[in-house]
Amino acid sequence: MTGPRFDRYDWAGGREAMLRFGPDAGPRVVAVLPLFEEANRTRAFLVAMLRALAGRGIGSILPDLPGTGESVVETRDLRLPDLRQAFAALVGTLGVPVHAVAIRSGALVDCDASLAGRWRLAPQSGGDLLRDLNRIRAASTMPDEDGFAGNSLSATLLADLQDAVPYAASRTVKLESDPRPADARYPGAPLWRRSEPGSDAALAEVLAADVAGWIATCGG
Amino acid sequence: MLVIFEGTSQVETTVRAVLADILGLGAERVAAFTDDTPLFGALPELDSMAVASVLTELEDRLGILIEDDEIDGEMLETFGALVQFAARKALV
Repeated sequence: MTGPRFDRYDWAGGREAMLRFGPDAGPRVVAVLPLFEEANRTRAFLVAMLRALAGRGIGSILPDLPGTGESVVETRDLRLPDLRQAFAALVGTLGVPVHAVAIRSGALVDCDASLAGRWRLAPQSGGDLLRDLNRIRAASTMPDEDGFAGNSLSATLLADLQDAVPYAASRTVKLESDPRPADARYPGAPLWRRSEPGSDAALAEVLAADVAGWIATCGG
Repeated sequence: MLVIFEGTSQVETTVRAVLADILGLGAERVAAFTDDTPLFGALPELDSMAVASVLTELEDRLGILIEDDEIDGEMLETFGALVQFAARKALV
């Protein structure tokens, strides 16, 4: 009943794939991966979190946003407003209270959607993301003019990211090693910065419990 | 001249933890690092992409900003050099 299912959703710019976890009834979590390289590093971890949420009776969706994952939109055509519009369109089709769960720069994507709440793990601003991208490019042993660790990004996207900040969160969770303000802190390593990240089953379970508790208190 | 910074031991603990977390090194392996332990070029896990991640994570945990023109081979040569660099940034 709670195994992952492949599905699709439509937005103004086309059709994209998504994964569904857990029950199709009741409040829903729509999860957002970070952008670019950090998405690859945290995907297995986020899926582990969504499976743990399913085990707690909470259904969730992990969409491929236009220009990410299996999307037919090329990375160089990826635009921040499109990510936001596609996310909002998906949320708009669900007809139940929706809670966004975003990791890192995924928090830049949920601002246009009508949501019951926004939960974030170590949210990252667009400016900090650009700093990371530029440092990775500078460190690259094979620099090419438009490439950021294999991602070809448009000037429009880079300009949009410069000033992008996450929309006000309902709950922000960070790792114990992060000294900046948070609603809760949990022990764990920042998988999004690891070259061989794997997953972290214990942290996924703890964070799923945090999300479930938060959904219960904010009324689902 | 060797300068000992107040709070260097906390910075050293943070540098050790960042190397363990970002490079996925075992706790015992990182605990055995001394000032002379070679890093860049000696640790296969520390490639150029990982250098970027280590420095960014150090910035976040220590609340410092590292400019691109400050990054050179010397600061990454040994564990001690990296700790000294981080301490200079964190403790001024």
